[in-house]
Amino acid sequence: MSTEALVVTNVTKRFGSHQAVESVSLAVAVGDAAVILGPSGCGKTTLLRLIAGLEVPDSGEIFLNGTNVASVGRSTVPPHQRGIGFVFQDLALWPHLTVWKNLEFVLGSVKTPHAERAARIHQALNLVRIEPLSARYPHELSGGEQQRVALARALVGQPRLLLLDEPLSSLDPELRMTLRAELARLQHDLRVAMVYVTHDTDDAAALADDVVEMRAGRIVSVSKPMR
Amino acid sequence: MVVGSATVLFVVCCLFPIGYLLFVSLSGADAAYATVWLDARQRGLLSNTALLGAGTAIFATAIGAPLGLALARVALPRKALLRVALAAPVLLPPYIVALAWTYLGSSRGLVATLAGRDLLSEWTYSLPAAVVVLTLVFYPLSMLATEVALRRVDGRLEEAALVVAPTGRVLWRITLPLVAPSVFAAALVIFVLAVSEFGVPGLLRVRVYTTEVFTAFAALYDFSRAILVAVPLLVLSLVVAVLAAAILGDRLVTTRRGSGTRPALLDEWRRPATIASILVVTVALGVPLVVLVREALGAQSWSSVVDGSGDAIANSLLLATAGATAVVSLAVWLGYARARARGRIGQLADVLLLVVFAVPSTIVGVGLIGLWNRPGLLGTVYGTDVMFLLAYLARFVPVAALALAASLRYVPVSHEEAAAIAGAGWLRTMSRIVFPQIRLGVVTAWVIAFVLAFGELGVSILVAPPGEATLPIRIYTIIANTPSSHVAVLALLQAIVIFAPLAVLGAVASVREAR
Repeated sequence: MSTEALVVTNVTKRFGSHQAVESVSLAVAVGDAAVILGPSGCGKTTLLRLIAGLEVPDSGEIFLNGTNVASVGRSTVPPHQRGIGFVFQDLALWPHLTVWKNLEFVLGSVKTPHAERAARIHQALNLVRIEPLSARYPHELSGGEQQRVALARALVGQPRLLLLDEPLSSLDPELRMTLRAELARLQHDLRVAMVYVTHDTDDAAALADDVVEMRAGRIVSVSKPMR
Repeated sequence: MVVGSATVLFVVCCLFPIGYLLFVSLSGADAAYATVWLDARQRGLLSNTALLGAGTAIFATAIGAPLGLALARVALPRKALLRVALAAPVLLPPYIVALAWTYLGSSRGLVATLAGRDLLSEWTYSLPAAVVVLTLVFYPLSMLATEVALRRVDGRLEEAALVVAPTGRVLWRITLPLVAPSVFAAALVIFVLAVSEFGVPGLLRVRVYTTEVFTAFAALYDFSRAILVAVPLLVLSLVVAVLAAAILGDRLVTTRRGSGTRPALLDEWRRPATIASILVVTVALGVPLVVLVREALGAQSWSSVVDGSGDAIANSLLLATAGATAVVSLAVWLGYARARARGRIGQLADVLLLVVFAVPSTIVGVGLIGLWNRPGLLGTVYGTDVMFLLAYLARFVPVAALALAASLRYVPVSHEEAAAIAGAGWLRTMSRIVFPQIRLGVVTAWVIAFVLAFGELGVSILVAPPGEATLPIRIYTIIANTPSSHVAVLALLQAIVIFAPLAVLGAVASVREAR
């Protein structure tokens, strides 16, 4: 289990009468990328939220780097102590904070020494090539730039697992292709484990080590991507 | 054309009285201002007024904002019912709460009876007491503003922070900065309402500008002095209202909502938040009502008390019904115009409506008298019950228009465009497409206008024709020379009329929540 960044075992989640996730098991090795593919409402976002700790499983267990972080009906490790970076579908950039402050909030939260923060933020902004935009507020950025900020924010804390919830879905095809390539480069360079949720097969082909297909809350297949 | 007519009526009913007052005061001699504004008495008035406003705003926010946070982010039991109960005190006419306060704290009041000695009477008639009473009345405004602001905050912003930070840091760095403008603007609105209040300082013998305006006009018959004293209060109210509107911006009528995600930020606070909410309801609503009931039980015959004020009660019911109907009839068109206005014009309309609502009641009263009490056609209106309706229009159209604008924003413009393409005329589109979608908003606006009109005192007491009285006027004028039990019966009656529709609303909300 020590080489696995993420292990999900028989996890189930129900909202009222709706079975969102049913007996899902999944493993992602350190440095690997799993792309969860499926139509809207199939439970892929719920699975991501369970991994992040934003939802609690009704049954099953979740391990991150060998540590149990959630089991039946309870979260044993709160979200901010799981060592994850999360890119939301709508990005969720904090509108009252500049790009720099958006990243600084993350480092302040994990008690990164002040002396290190500037270097880490520069490094993250450099990675996604938006360093000149650090003083801007989110509403002063284009869609693609906001996307990069969200990615930088997720990476600046040096997470051991990166979770991305359809991060490219709102972009035009050209920008989508560019960012997809950059994301693949980053994941390769940083060797960070990644779970990427999408309904786009091109995303899966470009990014995945494993393609996990979901339907109606269940995993129906796990395969290698067609490149 | 309909919107144009409504706008003209708004200008005549709401803006002319204020404009008249400003015009008359600006055309007065400088020397007159110097004598009236700069003496020690006026400085005392200014100090008392500012302390009353600031104290109320601070304490009401200190109570209301955490309650709003609890309503928005804690899974409280029976939340809908609790929200209605917590909001209810704002509907009680403030002078009713002040009356209960005097029955509680006077030398022969409930506290003295229970304690066996006088503990509070020295403090009962004082500026701090007025702050306490107005805090208990106005904290729901801060609570509701905070809750609405928090509901607008996209829950994903908090979730994105929860992934990297503990709850306390998320609240402090993400949640609170996002709602701070709304909380601050609500505090400013409370400040304006507190300095505009007439009944509470009048009853608790605190000298502020509103009581001074009333004294100058009603006791000294000095209209010029009333106008001159009104001006500082008017300017203060207008400046603060403009500031509040500027801070709020488009939030006044915006209906944008967050993602629907509500992170369980404070669920461990469920028990303390529930206890605190029940405590606040008990102090702000339960205690005044219990004190009034206790006092009213001293009356030999409730029916004779009610019969003795039958005309005032009937007047109040009739006038409040007619007033609310007139207010909503006008406000719905103004609300429509505001909802469809874009950019700067819309924001200016918000500022104007908020500013007009912030004008203190006694000032509106003096303005109405100055405008209508003159020979000729206008004079035939003055001295009739129509003045009550004009008073209600002048005071409550802005708030009803803002509420209806918020409802109308829910109706997409495309609905009207689709109706137009289908061949419907404008009136048919409005009556068949738009208004049916805002029925609940119209009913709510009518109930709010009715409750406000039914409890209105500051303007009514100034413009009431000779021999005519509404229930609030009757209560206010008989306090000094009538047994307190009789006054308490009438105050209770007023509370019952106000809370009856609210109780129905609370019951419906509770049933819906249970489903």
